[in-house]
Amino acid sequence: MSWTIDEWFVVALARTIRPRETVFHGFGSPCAQVAMHVARRTHAPEMVLIEGATYAINPDPPFIPPTSNDASLSRGAAYSMRFEEFFDAAIRGDVDRMFLSGGQIDVFGNTNVTAIGPVGRPKVKLGGGGGGCNLSATIGHLTLWTTRHRSGHTLVETCDFITDIGHRTPLGTRAELGFTGGGPQWLVTEMGVFEFRDGRARLVQIFPDVSLAEVRAATGFPLEAAGDLRAVRPPSAGELAAVRSVDPLEVRKSEFSPRELARVFEPAAGQDCAC
Amino acid sequence: MSLQPPRDKRVSLAEAVALVRDDAIVALGGGLSARLPMALVRELIRQGRRGLHLVGSAHSIDVDMLVAVGAVRRCEESYVGFEQDLGLAPAYRRAAEEGSIEVAESCCVSMLAQLRAAEMGLPFLPVRGVRGSDIAALHPEYATITCPFTGEVLIAVPALRPDVALLHAPSGDRYGNLHLEQPYVLDERFASASRVVIATVDELVSTEEVVASGVTIPAHLVTAVVLAPFGAHPTSCYPRYAYDHGHLREYVSAAQSGPDDFEKFLATYVCGSEESYLTAVGAERLSTLADWSRSTADWQELFR
Repeated sequence: MSWTIDEWFVVALARTIRPRETVFHGFGSPCAQVAMHVARRTHAPEMVLIEGATYAINPDPPFIPPTSNDASLSRGAAYSMRFEEFFDAAIRGDVDRMFLSGGQIDVFGNTNVTAIGPVGRPKVKLGGGGGGCNLSATIGHLTLWTTRHRSGHTLVETCDFITDIGHRTPLGTRAELGFTGGGPQWLVTEMGVFEFRDGRARLVQIFPDVSLAEVRAATGFPLEAAGDLRAVRPPSAGELAAVRSVDPLEVRKSEFSPRELARVFEPAAGQDCAC
Repeated sequence: MSLQPPRDKRVSLAEAVALVRDDAIVALGGGLSARLPMALVRELIRQGRRGLHLVGSAHSIDVDMLVAVGAVRRCEESYVGFEQDLGLAPAYRRAAEEGSIEVAESCCVSMLAQLRAAEMGLPFLPVRGVRGSDIAALHPEYATITCPFTGEVLIAVPALRPDVALLHAPSGDRYGNLHLEQPYVLDERFASASRVVIATVDELVSTEEVVASGVTIPAHLVTAVVLAPFGAHPTSCYPRYAYDHGHLREYVSAAQSGPDDFEKFLATYVCGSEESYLTAVGAERLSTLADWSRSTADWQELFR
Protein backbone atom coordinates (compact mmCIF):
# COMPACT_ATOMS: atom_id res chain seq x y z
CA MET A 1 0.00 0.00 0.00
CA SER A 2 1.29 3.46 -0.88
CA TRP A 3 -0.05 6.92 -0.09
CA THR A 4 0.39 10.46 -1.32
CA ILE A 5 1.31 13.69 0.45
CA ASP A 6 -2.23 15.08 0.38
CA GLU A 7 -3.45 12.00 2.24
CA TRP A 8 -0.65 12.09 4.77
CA PHE A 9 -1.02 15.83 5.27
CA VAL A 10 -4.73 15.52 6.02
CA VAL A 11 -3.96 12.74 8.52
CA ALA A 12 -1.35 14.96 10.21
CA LEU A 13 -3.97 17.71 10.51
CA ALA A 14 -6.56 15.25 11.86
CA ARG A 15 -4.17 14.15 14.62
CA THR A 16 -4.15 17.68 16.08
CA ILE A 17 -7.77 17.09 17.13
CA ARG A 18 -8.18 15.64 20.61
CA PRO A 19 -11.01 13.25 21.46
CA ARG A 20 -14.22 15.02 22.57
CA GLU A 21 -13.17 18.45 21.32
CA THR A 22 -15.62 20.82 19.62
CA VAL A 23 -13.94 21.67 16.33
CA PHE A 24 -14.63 24.09 13.47
CA HIS A 25 -13.02 24.79 10.12
CA GLY A 26 -13.33 27.96 8.08
CA PHE A 27 -14.80 27.92 4.58
CA GLY A 28 -12.55 27.32 1.60
CA SER A 29 -10.49 24.87 3.63
CA PRO A 30 -10.75 21.43 2.01
CA CYS A 31 -7.79 19.85 3.84
CA ALA A 32 -9.05 20.93 7.26
CA GLN A 33 -12.55 19.91 6.37
CA VAL A 34 -11.52 16.42 5.29
CA ALA A 35 -9.24 16.16 8.34
CA MET A 36 -12.12 16.80 10.73
CA HIS A 37 -14.19 14.01 9.20
CA VAL A 38 -11.16 11.69 9.26
CA ALA A 39 -10.63 12.41 12.97
CA ARG A 40 -14.29 11.73 13.70
CA ARG A 41 -14.08 8.39 11.88
CA THR A 42 -10.82 7.35 13.56
CA HIS A 43 -9.51 8.54 16.92
CA ALA A 44 -12.16 11.13 17.87
CA PRO A 45 -15.61 9.55 17.38
CA GLU A 46 -17.00 11.65 20.22
CA MET A 47 -15.88 15.02 18.91
CA VAL A 48 -18.40 17.73 18.08
CA LEU A 49 -17.73 18.55 14.44
CA ILE A 50 -19.13 21.88 13.24
CA GLU A 51 -19.13 22.36 9.48
CA GLY A 52 -17.52 25.56 8.23
CA ALA A 53 -20.41 27.30 6.52
CA THR A 54 -23.51 25.17 7.10
CA TYR A 55 -22.74 25.01 10.84
CA ALA A 56 -24.16 21.47 10.80
CA ILE A 57 -23.29 19.43 13.88
CA ASN A 58 -21.74 16.02 13.18
CA PRO A 59 -23.06 15.54 9.64
CA ASP A 60 -22.18 12.49 7.54
CA PRO A 61 -21.75 14.04 4.09
CA PRO A 62 -21.90 11.60 1.16
CA PHE A 63 -18.89 13.48 -0.30
CA ILE A 64 -17.03 16.72 0.41
CA PRO A 65 -17.94 19.29 -2.26
CA PRO A 66 -15.50 22.01 -3.34
CA THR A 67 -17.72 24.73 -1.82
CA SER A 68 -18.38 24.94 1.91
CA ASN A 69 -22.03 25.80 2.26
CA ASP A 70 -23.53 23.08 0.14
CA ALA A 71 -26.44 21.04 1.49
CA SER A 72 -24.35 17.86 1.16
CA LEU A 73 -22.45 19.12 4.22
CA SER A 74 -25.57 19.05 6.36
CA ARG A 75 -26.60 15.50 5.42
CA GLY A 76 -27.14 13.28 8.41
CA ALA A 77 -26.95 16.12 10.92
CA ALA A 78 -29.82 16.31 13.40
CA TYR A 79 -29.24 20.04 13.71
CA SER A 80 -27.51 22.91 11.96
CA MET A 81 -26.69 26.00 13.99
CA ARG A 82 -27.75 29.39 12.83
CA PHE A 83 -24.92 31.72 11.85
CA GLU A 84 -25.29 33.62 15.12
CA GLU A 85 -25.53 30.45 17.24
CA PHE A 86 -22.17 29.31 15.97
CA PHE A 87 -20.43 32.66 16.36
CA ASP A 88 -21.91 33.18 19.84
CA ALA A 89 -20.61 29.76 20.92
CA ALA A 90 -17.18 30.57 19.52
CA ILE A 91 -16.81 33.99 21.10
CA ARG A 92 -18.01 32.85 24.51
CA GLY A 93 -15.38 30.10 24.48
CA ASP A 94 -17.38 26.96 23.73
CA VAL A 95 -15.37 25.96 20.64
CA ASP A 96 -12.14 24.14 21.45
CA ARG A 97 -10.33 24.22 18.14
CA MET A 98 -10.40 25.94 14.78
CA PHE A 99 -8.33 25.38 11.66
CA LEU A 100 -6.88 28.52 10.05
CA SER A 101 -4.63 28.99 7.06
CA GLY A 102 -3.00 32.02 5.47
CA GLY A 103 -1.20 33.35 2.43
CA GLN A 104 1.40 34.44 4.99
CA ILE A 105 2.08 33.06 8.48
CA ASP A 106 4.69 34.42 10.89
CA VAL A 107 6.60 32.80 13.76
CA PHE A 108 3.96 33.94 16.30
CA GLY A 109 1.18 32.36 14.26
CA ASN A 110 -0.33 35.59 12.97
CA THR A 111 -1.89 34.93 9.58
CA ASN A 112 -2.62 37.08 6.55
CA VAL A 113 -5.56 36.21 4.32
CA THR A 114 -6.27 39.81 3.30
CA ALA A 115 -3.56 41.23 1.04
CA ILE A 116 0.03 40.70 -0.12
CA GLY A 117 1.75 44.08 -0.28
CA PRO A 118 0.32 47.33 1.12
CA VAL A 119 -3.42 46.92 1.69
CA GLY A 120 -4.22 50.26 0.01
CA ARG A 121 -2.65 49.11 -3.27
CA PRO A 122 -1.98 45.40 -2.81
CA LYS A 123 0.13 43.26 -5.10
CA VAL A 124 -2.43 40.49 -4.55
CA LYS A 125 -5.81 41.00 -2.91
CA LEU A 126 -6.65 37.74 -1.17
CA GLY A 127 -10.21 36.71 -0.38
CA GLY A 128 -10.44 37.82 3.22
CA GLY A 129 -10.66 36.36 6.69
CA GLY A 130 -14.30 35.41 7.27
CA GLY A 131 -14.73 35.42 11.03
CA GLY A 132 -11.06 34.90 11.88
CA CYS A 133 -10.08 38.25 13.40
CA ASN A 134 -12.57 37.71 16.22
CA LEU A 135 -12.58 33.90 16.38
CA SER A 136 -8.78 33.71 16.72
CA ALA A 137 -9.17 35.73 19.95
CA THR A 138 -11.56 33.38 21.74
CA ILE A 139 -11.42 29.83 20.34
CA GLY A 140 -9.58 27.39 22.63
CA HIS A 141 -6.76 26.36 20.29
CA LEU A 142 -5.86 26.97 16.69
CA THR A 143 -4.38 24.50 14.24
CA LEU A 144 -2.74 26.49 11.45
CA TRP A 145 -1.84 24.92 8.13
CA THR A 146 -0.38 25.69 4.76
CA THR A 147 0.37 23.56 1.71
CA ARG A 148 2.65 26.27 0.26
CA HIS A 149 5.57 26.26 2.69
CA ARG A 150 8.08 25.25 -0.01
CA SER A 151 7.27 28.39 -2.05
CA GLY A 152 9.35 30.38 0.43
CA HIS A 153 6.69 33.11 0.47
CA THR A 154 4.31 31.68 3.05
CA LEU A 155 6.21 31.36 6.33
CA VAL A 156 7.45 34.92 6.64
CA GLU A 157 9.39 37.12 9.03
CA THR A 158 6.53 39.65 9.10
CA CYS A 159 3.03 39.43 7.65
CA ASP A 160 2.19 42.30 5.28
CA PHE A 161 -1.20 42.40 6.99
CA ILE A 162 -2.35 40.62 10.14
CA THR A 163 -5.86 39.27 9.62
CA ASP A 164 -6.04 36.58 12.31
CA ILE A 165 -4.17 36.89 15.55
CA GLY A 166 -1.42 34.61 16.81
CA HIS A 167 0.52 34.77 20.07
CA ARG A 168 1.88 38.29 19.70
CA THR A 169 1.17 41.28 17.48
CA PRO A 170 2.81 44.73 17.41
CA LEU A 171 0.02 45.76 19.83
CA GLY A 172 0.99 43.17 22.40
CA THR A 173 0.59 39.59 23.55
CA ARG A 174 -2.71 37.76 23.70
CA ALA A 175 -2.86 38.34 27.46
CA GLU A 176 -2.25 42.04 26.98
CA LEU A 177 -4.98 42.16 24.34
CA GLY A 178 -7.43 40.46 26.70
CA PHE A 179 -7.96 37.41 24.52
CA THR A 180 -9.56 34.38 26.16
CA GLY A 181 -8.48 31.70 23.66
CA GLY A 182 -5.15 29.90 23.70
CA GLY A 183 -3.98 30.84 20.21
CA PRO A 184 -2.04 28.72 17.71
CA GLN A 185 -1.01 25.30 18.99
CA TRP A 186 0.10 23.56 15.78
CA LEU A 187 1.25 24.61 12.34
CA VAL A 188 1.16 21.77 9.81
CA THR A 189 2.87 22.27 6.44
CA GLU A 190 3.64 20.00 3.51
CA MET A 191 7.22 19.91 4.82
CA GLY A 192 6.66 19.23 8.50
CA VAL A 193 4.82 19.96 11.72
CA PHE A 194 5.52 22.88 14.07
CA GLU A 195 4.24 23.27 17.59
CA PHE A 196 4.05 26.59 19.40
CA ARG A 197 6.12 26.82 22.54
CA ASP A 198 6.41 30.10 24.46
CA GLY A 199 4.39 31.65 21.66
CA ARG A 200 6.78 30.76 18.81
CA ALA A 201 6.64 28.08 16.12
CA ARG A 202 9.18 25.27 16.54
CA LEU A 203 9.63 22.40 14.08
CA VAL A 204 8.97 19.08 15.82
CA GLN A 205 8.23 16.66 12.96
CA ILE A 206 9.42 16.46 9.39
CA PHE A 207 8.21 14.48 6.39
CA PRO A 208 10.85 11.85 5.53
CA ASP A 209 11.45 13.05 1.95
CA VAL A 210 12.29 16.58 3.18
CA SER A 211 15.60 17.69 4.71
CA LEU A 212 16.02 20.14 7.55
CA ALA A 213 18.06 22.36 5.20
CA GLU A 214 15.13 22.48 2.76
CA VAL A 215 12.76 23.48 5.55
CA ARG A 216 15.17 26.16 6.71
CA ALA A 217 15.55 27.53 3.18
CA ALA A 218 11.78 27.75 2.75
CA THR A 219 11.15 29.42 6.12
CA GLY A 220 11.27 33.21 6.30
CA PHE A 221 11.72 33.36 10.08
CA PRO A 222 14.72 31.90 11.91
CA LEU A 223 13.95 28.19 12.09
CA GLU A 224 14.02 26.57 15.48
CA ALA A 225 13.96 22.76 15.36
CA ALA A 226 13.35 20.43 18.29
CA GLY A 227 16.37 18.49 19.54
CA ASP A 228 14.34 15.31 19.17
CA LEU A 229 13.02 16.20 15.69
CA ARG A 230 11.11 13.19 14.43
CA ALA A 231 9.66 11.95 11.16
CA VAL A 232 5.91 12.40 10.81
CA ARG A 233 4.31 9.12 11.79
CA PRO A 234 2.99 7.29 8.70
CA PRO A 235 -0.76 7.04 8.28
CA SER A 236 -2.43 3.89 9.52
CA ALA A 237 -4.50 1.77 7.18
CA GLY A 238 -7.59 3.01 9.01
CA GLU A 239 -6.63 6.65 8.61
CA LEU A 240 -5.96 6.23 4.89
CA ALA A 241 -9.24 4.40 4.37
CA ALA A 242 -11.04 7.23 6.15
CA VAL A 243 -9.41 9.90 3.95
CA ARG A 244 -10.37 8.05 0.78
CA SER A 245 -13.95 7.35 1.78
CA VAL A 246 -14.61 10.84 3.18
CA ASP A 247 -13.27 12.61 0.11
CA PRO A 248 -14.14 10.75 -3.10
CA LEU A 249 -13.94 13.98 -5.14
CA GLU A 250 -10.39 14.50 -3.78
CA VAL A 251 -11.08 18.17 -3.03
CA ARG A 252 -8.08 18.05 -0.65
CA LYS A 253 -5.76 17.94 -3.66
CA SER A 254 -6.89 21.42 -4.77
CA GLU A 255 -4.67 22.92 -2.08
CA PHE A 256 -1.44 21.41 -3.47
CA SER A 257 0.81 22.25 -6.39
CA PRO A 258 1.31 19.48 -8.99
CA ARG A 259 4.90 19.08 -7.78
CA GLU A 260 3.74 18.25 -4.26
CA LEU A 261 1.06 15.88 -5.49
CA ALA A 262 3.78 13.77 -7.13
CA ARG A 263 5.10 12.83 -3.66
CA VAL A 264 4.25 9.16 -3.10
CA PHE A 265 5.27 7.16 -0.03
CA GLU A 266 5.70 3.45 0.68
CA PRO A 267 5.81 1.67 4.03
CA ALA A 268 9.35 1.33 5.41
CA ALA A 269 11.15 -1.96 4.73
CA GLY A 270 9.90 -4.71 6.99
CA GLN A 271 6.45 -3.16 7.39
CA ASP A 272 3.67 -4.86 5.49
CA CYS A 273 1.19 -2.06 5.92
CA ALA A 274 1.07 1.62 6.66
CA CYS A 275 0.83 1.13 10.40
CA MET B 1 -39.84 52.71 10.06
CA SER B 2 -42.66 50.70 11.56
CA LEU B 3 -43.36 47.08 10.76
CA GLN B 4 -44.98 46.39 7.41
CA PRO B 5 -48.78 46.00 7.56
CA PRO B 6 -50.17 43.04 5.62
CA ARG B 7 -50.63 43.83 1.94
CA ASP B 8 -49.94 42.26 -1.41
CA LYS B 9 -46.27 43.15 -1.98
CA ARG B 10 -45.75 41.53 -5.36
CA VAL B 11 -43.94 43.81 -7.78
CA SER B 12 -41.87 43.31 -10.92
CA LEU B 13 -38.12 42.84 -10.68
CA ALA B 14 -37.59 46.27 -12.27
CA GLU B 15 -39.94 47.95 -9.78
CA ALA B 16 -38.26 46.26 -6.83
CA VAL B 17 -34.75 47.24 -7.91
CA ALA B 18 -35.91 50.83 -8.49
CA LEU B 19 -36.13 50.99 -4.67
CA VAL B 20 -32.31 50.75 -4.55
CA ARG B 21 -30.74 54.19 -4.94
CA ASP B 22 -27.26 55.01 -6.20
CA ASP B 23 -24.82 55.15 -3.25
CA ALA B 24 -27.09 52.95 -1.08
CA ILE B 25 -25.78 50.61 1.60
CA VAL B 26 -26.86 47.24 0.18
CA ALA B 27 -26.91 44.03 2.26
CA LEU B 28 -26.54 40.88 0.18
CA GLY B 29 -28.23 37.75 1.50
CA GLY B 30 -26.98 34.19 1.23
CA GLY B 31 -23.30 33.34 1.21
CA LEU B 32 -20.49 31.85 -0.89
CA SER B 33 -22.20 29.57 -3.43
CA ALA B 34 -25.59 29.42 -1.73
CA ARG B 35 -28.74 31.48 -2.23
CA LEU B 36 -27.11 34.69 -3.46
CA PRO B 37 -29.74 37.18 -4.74
CA MET B 38 -28.51 36.92 -8.33
CA ALA B 39 -31.68 37.98 -10.19
CA LEU B 40 -31.61 41.21 -8.15
CA VAL B 41 -27.88 41.64 -8.82
CA ARG B 42 -28.43 41.22 -12.56
CA GLU B 43 -31.24 43.78 -12.49
CA LEU B 44 -29.03 46.26 -10.59
CA ILE B 45 -26.57 45.91 -13.47
CA ARG B 46 -29.33 46.39 -16.09
CA GLN B 47 -30.47 49.55 -14.32
CA GLY B 48 -26.90 50.88 -14.14
CA ARG B 49 -26.75 51.46 -10.40
CA ARG B 50 -23.56 53.20 -9.17
CA GLY B 51 -21.72 53.98 -5.97
CA LEU B 52 -23.03 51.05 -3.94
CA HIS B 53 -21.67 50.21 -0.51
CA LEU B 54 -21.99 46.43 -0.25
CA VAL B 55 -22.13 44.67 3.11
CA GLY B 56 -22.27 40.96 3.88
CA SER B 57 -20.39 37.98 5.21
CA ALA B 58 -18.67 35.64 2.71
CA HIS B 59 -19.64 36.28 -0.90
CA SER B 60 -18.60 35.44 -4.42
CA ILE B 61 -20.12 36.11 -7.88
CA ASP B 62 -22.67 38.66 -6.60
CA VAL B 63 -20.05 41.09 -5.33
CA ASP B 64 -17.59 40.29 -8.09
CA MET B 65 -20.05 40.95 -10.89
CA LEU B 66 -21.22 44.25 -9.38
CA VAL B 67 -17.60 45.33 -8.96
CA ALA B 68 -16.84 44.25 -12.54
CA VAL B 69 -19.44 46.64 -14.00
CA GLY B 70 -18.32 49.55 -11.82
CA ALA B 71 -21.44 49.62 -9.64
CA VAL B 72 -19.53 49.52 -6.34
CA ARG B 73 -17.78 52.21 -4.32
CA ARG B 74 -17.08 50.30 -1.09
CA CYS B 75 -16.86 46.59 -0.23
CA GLU B 76 -17.50 45.59 3.37
CA GLU B 77 -17.65 41.79 3.34
CA SER B 78 -15.67 39.30 5.38
CA TYR B 79 -14.60 37.45 2.23
CA VAL B 80 -15.05 37.71 -1.52
CA GLY B 81 -13.91 34.76 -3.61
CA PHE B 82 -14.64 31.30 -4.95
CA GLU B 83 -12.89 29.26 -2.22
CA GLN B 84 -10.48 26.56 -3.37
CA ASP B 85 -13.15 25.74 -5.92
CA LEU B 86 -12.41 28.51 -8.47
CA GLY B 87 -10.02 30.71 -6.55
CA LEU B 88 -9.75 34.46 -6.14
CA ALA B 89 -12.56 36.78 -7.29
CA PRO B 90 -11.16 38.29 -10.51
CA ALA B 91 -12.90 41.68 -10.66
CA TYR B 92 -12.80 42.29 -6.90
CA ARG B 93 -9.13 41.45 -6.83
CA ARG B 94 -8.35 43.71 -9.81
CA ALA B 95 -10.36 46.65 -8.45
CA ALA B 96 -8.72 46.34 -5.03
CA GLU B 97 -5.27 46.19 -6.59
CA GLU B 98 -5.97 49.22 -8.81
CA GLY B 99 -7.51 51.11 -5.91
CA SER B 100 -10.80 51.66 -7.75
CA ILE B 101 -12.92 50.35 -4.84
CA GLU B 102 -12.63 51.00 -1.13
CA VAL B 103 -11.77 47.74 0.60
CA ALA B 104 -13.33 47.80 4.05
CA GLU B 105 -12.88 44.08 4.68
CA SER B 106 -14.89 43.07 7.73
CA CYS B 107 -15.30 40.03 9.96
CA CYS B 108 -18.40 37.86 10.32
CA VAL B 109 -18.52 38.49 14.08
CA SER B 110 -18.18 42.28 13.79
CA MET B 111 -20.79 42.42 11.02
CA LEU B 112 -23.17 40.34 13.15
CA ALA B 113 -22.64 42.63 16.17
CA GLN B 114 -23.26 45.73 14.03
CA LEU B 115 -26.52 44.33 12.68
CA ARG B 116 -27.66 43.27 16.13
CA ALA B 117 -26.99 46.77 17.45
CA ALA B 118 -29.21 48.16 14.67
CA GLU B 119 -31.89 45.56 15.44
CA MET B 120 -31.86 46.59 19.10
CA GLY B 121 -31.80 50.32 18.39
CA LEU B 122 -28.43 50.61 20.15
CA PRO B 123 -25.57 52.77 18.86
CA PHE B 124 -22.92 50.01 19.13
CA LEU B 125 -21.98 46.64 20.55
CA PRO B 126 -18.57 45.50 21.82
CA VAL B 127 -16.51 42.63 20.41
CA ARG B 128 -13.54 40.94 22.05
CA GLY B 129 -11.34 40.33 18.99
CA VAL B 130 -10.14 42.66 16.22
CA ARG B 131 -7.54 44.36 18.48
CA GLY B 132 -4.10 43.61 17.13
CA SER B 133 -5.52 42.68 13.74
CA ASP B 134 -4.95 45.10 10.86
CA ILE B 135 -8.66 44.73 10.05
CA ALA B 136 -9.12 47.46 12.69
CA ALA B 137 -7.12 49.90 10.52
CA LEU B 138 -9.63 49.44 7.68
CA HIS B 139 -12.40 50.70 9.98
CA PRO B 140 -11.77 54.16 11.42
CA GLU B 141 -15.41 54.04 12.57
CA TYR B 142 -14.54 51.42 15.22
CA ALA B 143 -13.51 52.62 18.68
CA THR B 144 -12.06 51.12 21.85
CA ILE B 145 -14.18 51.04 24.98
CA THR B 146 -13.50 50.10 28.58
CA CYS B 147 -16.11 47.89 30.21
CA PRO B 148 -17.55 49.79 33.21
CA PHE B 149 -17.95 46.52 35.15
CA THR B 150 -14.76 44.54 34.46
CA GLY B 151 -12.34 47.13 33.11
CA GLU B 152 -11.74 45.02 29.98
CA VAL B 153 -10.77 46.95 26.88
CA LEU B 154 -12.96 45.93 23.95
CA ILE B 155 -13.66 47.14 20.42
CA ALA B 156 -16.96 48.99 19.91
CA VAL B 157 -18.49 48.48 16.47
CA PRO B 158 -21.22 50.92 15.42
CA ALA B 159 -24.77 49.89 14.52
CA LEU B 160 -25.13 49.08 10.83
CA ARG B 161 -28.49 49.79 9.24
CA PRO B 162 -28.41 48.85 5.54
CA ASP B 163 -30.60 50.97 3.27
CA VAL B 164 -31.80 47.84 1.56
CA ALA B 165 -31.44 44.08 1.96
CA LEU B 166 -31.58 41.86 -1.14
CA LEU B 167 -32.65 38.31 -0.30
CA HIS B 168 -33.58 35.19 -2.22
CA ALA B 169 -35.86 32.45 -0.88
CA PRO B 170 -37.05 29.17 -2.39
CA SER B 171 -40.65 30.06 -1.58
CA GLY B 172 -42.82 32.79 -0.14
CA ASP B 173 -46.31 34.21 -0.27
CA ARG B 174 -47.56 37.48 -1.76
CA TYR B 175 -47.35 39.20 1.64
CA GLY B 176 -43.66 38.46 2.02
CA ASN B 177 -43.64 35.51 4.39
CA LEU B 178 -40.50 33.67 3.32
CA HIS B 179 -39.38 30.10 3.81
CA LEU B 180 -35.61 29.50 3.68
CA GLU B 181 -33.55 26.35 4.03
CA GLN B 182 -30.37 26.38 6.09
CA PRO B 183 -27.88 27.97 6.01
CA TYR B 184 -29.81 31.19 6.59
CA VAL B 185 -26.46 33.03 6.85
CA LEU B 186 -27.27 36.66 7.83
CA ASP B 187 -30.62 36.89 6.04
CA GLU B 188 -32.71 37.03 9.21
CA ARG B 189 -30.48 39.72 10.69
CA PHE B 190 -30.47 41.73 7.47
CA ALA B 191 -34.27 41.50 7.33
CA SER B 192 -34.75 43.13 10.71
CA ALA B 193 -31.81 45.58 10.54
CA SER B 194 -32.45 47.02 7.06
CA ARG B 195 -34.76 49.90 6.10
CA VAL B 196 -36.08 48.18 2.98
CA VAL B 197 -36.18 44.41 2.37
CA ILE B 198 -36.58 43.05 -1.16
CA ALA B 199 -37.03 39.32 -1.66
CA THR B 200 -37.08 37.24 -4.81
CA VAL B 201 -38.69 33.81 -4.59
CA ASP B 202 -38.39 30.79 -6.85
CA GLU B 203 -42.04 30.07 -6.25
CA LEU B 204 -44.99 32.08 -4.97
CA VAL B 205 -47.18 29.91 -2.76
CA SER B 206 -50.22 30.36 -0.55
CA THR B 207 -49.81 31.52 3.03
CA GLU B 208 -50.96 28.06 4.19
CA GLU B 209 -48.15 26.46 2.20
CA VAL B 210 -45.41 28.75 3.44
CA VAL B 211 -46.64 28.30 7.01
CA ALA B 212 -46.52 24.52 6.52
CA SER B 213 -42.91 24.78 5.27
CA GLY B 214 -42.03 27.13 8.11
CA VAL B 215 -41.78 30.93 7.95
CA THR B 216 -38.14 31.94 8.36
CA ILE B 217 -38.58 35.65 7.62
CA PRO B 218 -42.03 37.12 8.39
CA ALA B 219 -44.03 39.42 6.11
CA HIS B 220 -43.89 42.31 8.56
CA LEU B 221 -40.17 42.74 7.77
CA VAL B 222 -40.50 42.52 3.98
CA THR B 223 -41.12 45.47 1.64
CA ALA B 224 -41.41 43.84 -1.77
CA VAL B 225 -41.70 40.32 -3.21
CA VAL B 226 -40.69 39.33 -6.73
CA LEU B 227 -41.28 36.01 -8.45
CA ALA B 228 -37.93 35.01 -9.96
CA PRO B 229 -37.57 31.31 -10.81
CA PHE B 230 -33.93 30.22 -10.49
CA GLY B 231 -33.35 33.65 -8.98
CA ALA B 232 -30.24 32.45 -7.14
CA HIS B 233 -28.69 30.75 -10.19
CA PRO B 234 -25.75 30.08 -10.67
CA THR B 235 -25.64 29.63 -6.89
CA SER B 236 -27.67 26.96 -5.14
CA CYS B 237 -31.11 27.27 -3.62
CA TYR B 238 -31.84 23.98 -1.94
CA PRO B 239 -34.09 22.06 -2.01
CA ARG B 240 -34.82 23.39 -5.50
CA TYR B 241 -31.46 23.38 -7.26
CA ALA B 242 -27.76 22.83 -6.73
CA TYR B 243 -25.14 25.35 -7.81
CA ASP B 244 -23.99 25.53 -11.42
CA HIS B 245 -20.29 24.84 -11.36
CA GLY B 246 -19.92 25.14 -15.13
CA HIS B 247 -21.59 28.54 -15.24
CA LEU B 248 -19.47 29.83 -12.35
CA ARG B 249 -16.36 28.62 -14.14
CA GLU B 250 -17.51 30.40 -17.30
CA TYR B 251 -18.02 33.61 -15.33
CA VAL B 252 -14.63 33.43 -13.59
CA SER B 253 -12.88 32.75 -16.87
CA ALA B 254 -14.64 35.68 -18.61
CA ALA B 255 -13.93 38.04 -15.72
CA GLN B 256 -10.28 36.99 -15.65
CA SER B 257 -9.58 37.29 -19.33
CA GLY B 258 -10.41 40.92 -19.93
CA PRO B 259 -13.05 43.42 -21.07
CA ASP B 260 -13.97 41.76 -24.38
CA ASP B 261 -14.79 38.37 -22.94
CA PHE B 262 -16.54 39.96 -19.99
CA GLU B 263 -18.69 42.19 -22.25
CA LYS B 264 -19.61 39.09 -24.22
CA PHE B 265 -20.60 37.31 -21.01
CA LEU B 266 -22.76 40.29 -19.99
CA ALA B 267 -24.37 40.48 -23.42
CA THR B 268 -25.13 36.75 -23.42
CA TYR B 269 -26.49 36.46 -19.91
CA VAL B 270 -27.20 39.73 -18.15
CA CYS B 271 -28.14 42.55 -20.50
CA GLY B 272 -31.52 41.23 -21.60
CA SER B 273 -33.96 40.06 -18.94
CA GLU B 274 -34.36 37.18 -16.50
CA GLU B 275 -36.36 35.36 -19.18
CA SER B 276 -33.52 35.68 -21.67
CA TYR B 277 -31.05 34.73 -18.92
CA LEU B 278 -32.82 31.42 -18.28
CA THR B 279 -33.04 30.76 -22.02
CA ALA B 280 -29.30 31.42 -22.41
CA VAL B 281 -28.45 29.09 -19.51
CA GLY B 282 -30.71 26.48 -21.09
CA ALA B 283 -33.61 24.41 -19.86
CA GLU B 284 -31.59 21.22 -19.97
CA ARG B 285 -28.89 22.60 -17.68
CA LEU B 286 -31.47 23.99 -15.27
CA SER B 287 -33.32 20.70 -15.03
CA THR B 288 -30.04 18.87 -14.33
CA LEU B 289 -29.44 21.22 -11.39
CA ALA B 290 -33.01 20.76 -10.19
CA ASP B 291 -32.58 16.95 -10.33
CA TRP B 292 -29.70 16.99 -7.85
CA SER B 293 -31.54 14.68 -5.45
CA ARG B 294 -32.13 11.86 -7.92
CA SER B 295 -29.09 9.97 -6.67
CA THR B 296 -25.91 10.64 -4.72
CA ALA B 297 -23.92 9.87 -7.87
CA ASP B 298 -25.84 12.49 -9.89
CA TRP B 299 -25.40 15.02 -7.09
CA GLN B 300 -21.70 14.37 -6.77
CA GLU B 301 -21.28 14.67 -10.53
CA LEU B 302 -22.45 18.31 -10.39
CA PHE B 303 -19.26 19.25 -8.51
CA ARG B 304 -16.71 17.90 -10.97
